[in-house]
Amino acid sequence: MTKMPTTPPQISPVEEQEKFLHDALGVVKAQAFHMKRALDKNKLMDALKNASAMLAELRTSLLSPKSYYELYMAITDELRHLELYLVDEFQKGRKVPDLYELVQYAGNIVPRLYLLITVGLVYIKTNTSLRRDLLKDLVEMCRGVQHPLRGLFLRNYLLQCTRNVLPDSSETDADSPEGTVKDSVDFVLMNFAEMNKLWVRMQHQGHSRERQHREREREELRILVGTNLVRLSQLESVTLEKYQKLVLPGILEQVVSCRDAIAQEYLMECIIQVFPDEFHIQTLTPFLKSCAELEQGVNVKNIVISLMERLAAFSQRSDSLGTEGANILQEVQLFEVFSDQVSSIISNRQYLPPEDMVALQVALINLALKCYPDRIEYIDKVMLSSVEMFQRLGLEHLEYHSSVAKELQKLLKIPLDSYNNVLVVLKLKHYAGLMQHLDFNGRKSLSIYILTNALENETIIPSPDETEQALTLLGTLVSEKNENPLGEVDLEELAEEQCLLARFIHQLKSNVADEQYLILTMARKILGTGGPLRIKYTLPPLIFQAYQLAHKYKNLKEENWDKKCTKIFQFCHQTITALVKAELAELPLRLFLQGALAIDQIGFENHETVAYEFMSQAFSLYEDEISDSKAQLAAITLIVGTLEQISCFSEENSDPLRTQCALAASKLLKKPDQCRGVATCSHLFWSGKSLASNKEETHDGKRVVECLKKGLRIAKQCMDVSVQVQLFVELLNHYIYFYEKDNDQVNIEILNQVIKKIKEELPNLESSDETEQITKHFNNTLEHIRVRLDSPEEGAVYKGIEI
Amino acid sequence: MASNKKVLLKVIILGDSSVGKTSLMNQYVNRKFSNQYKATIGADFLTKEVTIDDRTVTMQIWDTAGQERFQSLGVAFYRGADCCVLVFDVTAPNTFKSLDSWRDEFLIQAAPREPDNFPFVLLGNKVDLEPRAISAKRAQQWCQAKNNMPYFETSAKEGLNVEQAFLAIAKNALAQQNQSVDLYNEFPDQIKLTNTQKSNGGGDSCAC
Repeated sequence: MTKMPTTPPQISPVEEQEKFLHDALGVVKAQAFHMKRALDKNKLMDALKNASAMLAELRTSLLSPKSYYELYMAITDELRHLELYLVDEFQKGRKVPDLYELVQYAGNIVPRLYLLITVGLVYIKTNTSLRRDLLKDLVEMCRGVQHPLRGLFLRNYLLQCTRNVLPDSSETDADSPEGTVKDSVDFVLMNFAEMNKLWVRMQHQGHSRERQHREREREELRILVGTNLVRLSQLESVTLEKYQKLVLPGILEQVVSCRDAIAQEYLMECIIQVFPDEFHIQTLTPFLKSCAELEQGVNVKNIVISLMERLAAFSQRSDSLGTEGANILQEVQLFEVFSDQVSSIISNRQYLPPEDMVALQVALINLALKCYPDRIEYIDKVMLSSVEMFQRLGLEHLEYHSSVAKELQKLLKIPLDSYNNVLVVLKLKHYAGLMQHLDFNGRKSLSIYILTNALENETIIPSPDETEQALTLLGTLVSEKNENPLGEVDLEELAEEQCLLARFIHQLKSNVADEQYLILTMARKILGTGGPLRIKYTLPPLIFQAYQLAHKYKNLKEENWDKKCTKIFQFCHQTITALVKAELAELPLRLFLQGALAIDQIGFENHETVAYEFMSQAFSLYEDEISDSKAQLAAITLIVGTLEQISCFSEENSDPLRTQCALAASKLLKKPDQCRGVATCSHLFWSGKSLASNKEETHDGKRVVECLKKGLRIAKQCMDVSVQVQLFVELLNHYIYFYEKDNDQVNIEILNQVIKKIKEELPNLESSDETEQITKHFNNTLEHIRVRLDSPEEGAVYKGIEI
Repeated sequence: MASNKKVLLKVIILGDSSVGKTSLMNQYVNRKFSNQYKATIGADFLTKEVTIDDRTVTMQIWDTAGQERFQSLGVAFYRGADCCVLVFDVTAPNTFKSLDSWRDEFLIQAAPREPDNFPFVLLGNKVDLEPRAISAKRAQQWCQAKNNMPYFETSAKEGLNVEQAFLAIAKNALAQQNQSVDLYNEFPDQIKLTNTQKSNGGGDSCAC
C-alpha cells in the first residue's frame, strides 16, 4: 500500500518563527523548573544537567536574531538563579570542588561555555585573586564558538556577567592577580575584536541574493558588538590619557582594518555616543583621520556631523554651566580642527556625493555658530571653502530641486536664521558668491527668504553701501536682466514678490538726512533696472520715502535745506517720469498730485513753480494718457481734490488751473460724468485757497453757482430720467452744502425749485433697486433739512423751504 | 513557596534620553555621579542586594537606552519585570509628555498578567537644576490618574531621595512577585521527559 505524501499546512515565516520560539521557550520553562527544584533540594549535579539542557536550546539555527534574543533573555534570566545559588553556597563556605572543571564535561560547546562563564563569575566574585587569569581564560575559550549568531550572544553573556567584576584600578602593580584596568581594557578589546569578526563574517555567508536579508539581520545584531564599547566607557580608571593611548587606538584599529562598511559606520557612531565629550574634544584628529580611511559605502558625512552636533551641544551646555569644558573649548581649536579634517575628507573621498560635501559644510557652520557665535569670520571661511569646492568640482547653476542645491539652500539660510539680521549676512564676503552657484529659481527662492527675514525682523538698512549690497543680493527679484529663461512670467507670482520688495524699500533708512538721500538715489539706480513690470511696485515707495525726506529737511531747517528739497523733487519728478515712460498713467498721475501736495506743505524757495510743474504734469497725463471715461472722471476728481488743498499758487497760476479743471470736467464724454465733474469743480471756487486770497478760502459764490447751474443744465440733457433724478438729488446736496456755508448766491428759491423738480419726476420712475436708492438719498436729504428746521437755533435758516 | 528561597527582582528603568536613568542607577548602586554625558545603547543591568522586612533580595536593575534607534534587537528584556520605573527630567517638559507612551509601550511589550495592577514608580529627576518646568503637583496628578503610582523627586547628582525611591521600588516589586507566585503556580504546562533529547532542528553541520 502506498501512502500519499502529506503536504504540511502552509504557515507564514512569522508564524513559523513564533512556533519555533514558543517550542524552545516551552523547553526552557520546563528545564528551568526542574533546575530550580534541584537547587532547592541542593542537588547541584541535577541542576547543572537541567541547565545544560536548557542552554542547549541556544544551539538552534531556526531563529531570527530577534527571536534568538528573546530566547537568550529567557534562558539567562533563569541562569541567574543558578548563579545566585552558587554565590550563596560559596559564601557559606560550601565550595564545590572542581566545579570549573566539572562543567567542562557538558556535551556541547554552547551550553558548556555558558556554564563555564556562570561558574567563572562565581569564582571571581568569591575569590578576586583569580580574576585576572579567569577573565583571560574565558575570553579565550569563547573562541570555541565560531557560529556568528551563537558566538555573538555567548560573548554578550560574557560581557554582561563580567560587568561588575572587571578590574578598575589604575595601580601600577601590573602583576597583581586581581588585575588592573589595563587587563580590563585588553579583555574587552579582545572580546570586541572577536565579536566584530563574527559579525563581519555574517556578511559573507550564504547566497548573494539574500544579501538584503542578511544585512538587516546584521543591523539588528549590531547592539551586541557595540556593548563592548559601552563596557570600555564604563571603566572609571580609563582616564583621558589611557583613552588616547590605549582604548581609542585599539578600537579604531579594529574598525578600520575590518573593512566592512556596516560595521565601520555603526561603530564610529557608537564611539561618538558612548564616550564623553571631554574625551572627544581631545581626540578629534585621530578620530577624524580614521573617518577618512573608511570604506566607500560608509556614510562619513553622518559620522562627522553626529560628532560636530554632539560637541556643539556640549559647548552650549558647558557655557551655561561654566565648567572646565568651556576652558577646553578655548584651548582646542574646535573649529579649525574640524574645518581642516572636513576639507581633507572632501578632497580625499572622490566618491563622496556633492550634497554630502555641502552637508558637511552646513554642519561646520552650525558648529561655528553654536561654539563661537560672535566669530562670523568662521562662517565666511566655510563659505569660501564651499565656493572653492564648487569651483573645483565645476558645479554651477545647481538645479533647483537637486539635493546639492537643497543642501546649499540650507547652508545659506543658517546665518539668517541664527542672527535674524540681514546686515550680518551682508558682512559675509563670500555669501553672494556662494549664492551664485544656485540656479535662477534657487536664487529667487533664497532671495524671497532673505526678504521675508528682513521684513519680519524689521531690519533697517542704514547706508547706501548696504543698500547696494542688499539689492544686488536680491538681484533675481530686482532686475529684469536675470529674467528666468524658461517660460513666461507669472504675473500673480511677480506681484507677490514685488510687494515684498516694496515693503522692504521702506526699511532703507538712515537717521542722517543726507545719507538717506544717497540711499534713495542708490536704490533708484538699481531698482530702475527692473523694467516696467517691476518698477510699478518698487518706485512708488521710493518716491514716498523722498517726500518724507523733504519733510525732514523742512523740520531740520539746516543750511541749504531748500536747495536740497528742490533736488529731492527733481529726483521725484525724474522717477515719476520713469513710470510714465513705462506706459503707466494713473499711477504717475497720483504720484504727481501727491508730490504737489508735499511741495505745497513744505514751501521751500521756488516751490510754487515746482508745484505748478507737478500739477501740469498731472494734467498732461490726464489729457494724453487717460482715455477710459470712468478713469477720466476719477482722475479729474483727484486733480480737483488736490488743487482744492493747495494754497501756494498766485492768481497767475491758480486761475488757469481752476479754469482748466472746470473746462476738462465739462468736456468729459458722458453727460452724467460732465455733470458730476462740474459740480465737483464748484468747490474749487469756494474752499480753494491761493495767494490772492491770502491762503484763505476763496468764497467766490458767483462762480460756484455758475458751476452748479451748468450742472443742472447738463442733467436736464440726460435722456434717462432715472439718471436725471439721481443727478438732481446730488446737485441738491451740493446746493444745500453751499447754502449752509452762507454762500449768498444760493437761496431758498433755488432749493425749492430743485426739490420741486425732483418731486415731480420721482413718482414716474419705474420701481427698481436704483429708484429705491435715489428715493432713499432724497428722503435722507429732506430729513436733514427737517432736523435743521426743528432745531430752535437754526430753524430760521430754512425759513420758507417747501418739503 | 518557601520564604527562604532566593529572591531575584527585575526592575526596568524607562524614560527619554538624558533624563538621568544611568545616573540614578549609578548613584543607587555605586553611590557615584558624573557630569559627563555618555549615551546608553542597548540595555544593561546592575545588581544590588537589599534587605526588605528581614529578607535579602537581589535587585536586578535594567538601564535602557532612551533613544529607540539603539534598541536594534527589540525589548525582550522587559519580560519578567517585577516593577517598572519611569523617569523624567523636571526641567524638560517633553520628557514628561513622553511618560504615557513609555508606560503603554512597556505594558504592550512586557505583557504582565495583570496590566492594571502592575507596579510602576515615577521619578522626577534633576530637581537640583533650575528652572523647573514640571511642578510636583502636576506630576502627582498624573500619578493619581495612573492607579496612584508612587512619585519621588530625585537628584542623581546630589543623591537626593534616590535611596528612598529604590527602596519603594523594591517593595513594590516584591509585593508584585509574591502576589503572582501566590496566584499562579509556576508549574510548566506540560513536562515531556523525552523532550530533552530532541536535538535542535537546525541541521547545519556546526558542531557547537
